[in-house]
Amino acid sequence: MKIKRLIIRNFGGIHEKSMEFLPGINVLYGENESGKTTVYAFLKSMFYGLRRQRGRAARNDAYALYEPWENPSVYGGTVWFENGGRNFRLSRNFSRTGPSSELLCEDDGEVMDVEQGDLDGVLGGVSEVIYENTVAVGQLKSVTGPELVKELQNYMASYQGTADSSVDLGRAMQMLKMTRKGFQVQADRRKKELAIQKEKILAHMNYVRGEMEELKEKRKALLEDAGDYSLEEEGGTPMDGRIEELARRKKRLNGFMAATAAVMILAAVLLGVFLTEGIWPVIAALTAGASALTAEFIMRRKTVQEWNKRINMREKWLHRREKFRWNMESLRESYREKRMSLGNLQSEYEEEEETTAQAEELEVEALNLAMETIEKLSGGIHNQVGDRLRRRTSEILREITGGKYGEVLMDEALHMSVNTEERIVPLERLSRGTLEQIYFALRMAAGEILCGEEEFPVILDDVFGMYDEDRLRAVLRWLEKEKRQIIISTCHRREMELLEREGIPYRQILL
Amino acid sequence: MKFIHLADVHLGAVPDKGCPWSAGRGEEIWETFRRVIAGIRENPVDLLFIAGDLFHRQPLPGELKEVNYLFSTIPETHVFLMAGNHDCMRKDSFYRTFSWAENVHFFAGEKMRRIRLEKPRVTVYGLGYEHQEIREPLYDGVKPSEEDGFRVLLAHGGDENHIPINVRAVSQAGFDYIALGHIHRPQVLVQNKMIYPGALEPIDRNDTGPHGYVEGTYEDGLVQAEFVPFASRSYQKLVLTLREDSTQLSLEDMLRMDIKRQGARNIYHVVLRGVRSPDLLLISEKLKSLGNVIEVEDLSHPAYDPEALLRQYGGTLIGDYIEYFLDKEMSLAEEKALYYGLQALLETSRQVK
Repeated sequence: MKIKRLIIRNFGGIHEKSMEFLPGINVLYGENESGKTTVYAFLKSMFYGLRRQRGRAARNDAYALYEPWENPSVYGGTVWFENGGRNFRLSRNFSRTGPSSELLCEDDGEVMDVEQGDLDGVLGGVSEVIYENTVAVGQLKSVTGPELVKELQNYMASYQGTADSSVDLGRAMQMLKMTRKGFQVQADRRKKELAIQKEKILAHMNYVRGEMEELKEKRKALLEDAGDYSLEEEGGTPMDGRIEELARRKKRLNGFMAATAAVMILAAVLLGVFLTEGIWPVIAALTAGASALTAEFIMRRKTVQEWNKRINMREKWLHRREKFRWNMESLRESYREKRMSLGNLQSEYEEEEETTAQAEELEVEALNLAMETIEKLSGGIHNQVGDRLRRRTSEILREITGGKYGEVLMDEALHMSVNTEERIVPLERLSRGTLEQIYFALRMAAGEILCGEEEFPVILDDVFGMYDEDRLRAVLRWLEKEKRQIIISTCHRREMELLEREGIPYRQILL
Repeated sequence: MKFIHLADVHLGAVPDKGCPWSAGRGEEIWETFRRVIAGIRENPVDLLFIAGDLFHRQPLPGELKEVNYLFSTIPETHVFLMAGNHDCMRKDSFYRTFSWAENVHFFAGEKMRRIRLEKPRVTVYGLGYEHQEIREPLYDGVKPSEEDGFRVLLAHGGDENHIPINVRAVSQAGFDYIALGHIHRPQVLVQNKMIYPGALEPIDRNDTGPHGYVEGTYEDGLVQAEFVPFASRSYQKLVLTLREDSTQLSLEDMLRMDIKRQGARNIYHVVLRGVRSPDLLLISEKLKSLGNVIEVEDLSHPAYDPEALLRQYGGTLIGDYIEYFLDKEMSLAEEKALYYGLQALLETSRQVK
């Protein structure tokens, strides 16, 4: 693209100013504060518009900065340019009251629509930020050497990785990592809380298991103690046999006693009736009978006593067995209950597992995705831009230093160095003048590579302040050779004087 | 004839584990159930239907005794009770051996049964879960026999794994009322006829909105039933809309006021929407300390216009980055990634001019 002419109707402090440009070198000369930056801002606004920021930011934005104090309904101008072999006229008014834009192709008279994006097409897809990164070459801001080296390295790294010198990939990634860390800390805290919850449940489960063990122990002790109790519903007692035996004996003795008495009476009667032997045999029979009866009676009493005792024992035994059975049953119920509690706790524990998916995980996933994507895309840009940029920068540097400095190198840690004829010199060891030359080479290379097919003009804004005469001469010669449209904006006369002396054609534009 | 229909009480559940208010929630669920019974004591009803999941897990004997005691205090009310999927009557369940008070009618076993009372004249059909899952549509073919009085189906389930229910078939089978349980949010399937009363108390953060039971009457074949909010608190979604001039403090004030207005007892799921200033770093954890806030979901994003930025930054990393995401259907994570990346790249950029 070549800018042919422009008219600034009303923009910042400039009113009704017309300028014409050569396709080659132009020098925009003016004192400090005379409006050189305004010309640059005007061009950019013409091509990319002048958006108003919202809210508080609007107070200091570019729109407010360049809004004219007088006659603000006219805020803009016209620029004539050639791009891709076609000639265009672009007029704009940015005023609040009636903003307008008009894009005319002068070759075929076609009026194009800026609002619909026709201008984007004319500019060949060079976006505003690419324009900023290639068209405008400002001074290096750093004052001291180390800062300058850093600034230069940042430029190179940003161009290579992002095609945008203002992006600071390192800090951006750092910010994402910090944010991720924040969420991870939260997630960890939550996980710890969850672990504590689960720990509590486990402790509770162990407690219940302990209780179950205790119940088992009690059961064992009870069983040992029980000895001969049968657990079956119906079962005899150990006393049953003896009790039956005693009952039988009592019955038998009852029989004996009855028989003895009967025999005794019978004998007494018979002996008495027939009375052949006198009274004595009767008495003897009765006496024998009585003593037999007495013996039998004593035996019976003993049997009854033992029987009573045994019955008593059996009752006690049955009572104990009942108590034992009741205890066993109660232990069994308690055990069942504990087992159920344990099962409930187990399912509670398992449910805790299920509720771990949390909001933080989404944020961490998003942040990881952001970082991965940035890295991947940056890698892609690096492949397309990185080495080409480095090689072209080296080439330009070689040309403007008369071959003294050759290849520009950059290592993994983004440290730059330059290969001279004899050795590799790190940037820190180079003079300010040489650093300025590397910067120039880098910016010119970026302008070529990032813009694509159509080269845009380059506005060099006071960049030669630190150049000695030899360096300046070499750069001007190189610019002439390259045949690009250059606008050197300066407040010194030395560029013009040198151009005259070298016989390089240029146009002088006075502000 | 008056009745109360409730379900999914989940006695024994302790919602929101790990949250400061969690400890009291378990007891609160019991307390609300006791309040229902106390209410019946004050204003007696003839029938109380409990459509499953009275307990959150397998009931322990002590818990059954407690519940049975409560039922025994309303002897005039016939209680119809079933086991649901949560408290299903497993082989070892204490439900199997428990003996209930006289006024309690418990549906045991997965075979459809019919319980008929003469006074009041009511017939209740139902079954009880013996397994956590039942995939057979056990309710779809059930028809009440021709008899007079109030004919009710007590049913629990309605999803694929818990007795799928054909609403049309069951609602037209001839029952006067179908007392449902299992779905935690109150839901009227057929007006005055087929109703999920929802959980009595909300049991987890998904149980948003009001909770309570259904109260109804049956007169001359006509059923009137309506929902009675009764839970001690509710889970609510609270949307805060951010603007570009919102700050952490303005957001905290906004939340504080909203919580005050909607009730400090309630439990809030806070959703942030809208746009925020790109340099605002939100500390959403801090919002959680302003009330019963269970979650802060951040769906707000920095006030960037990706389309405009794409035009502005075309050909550079930022342009490529936006393009990468705008080119596809974005998931929530991808949308968040877009803004996270943009914010990082733009906020850390060097001011060149």
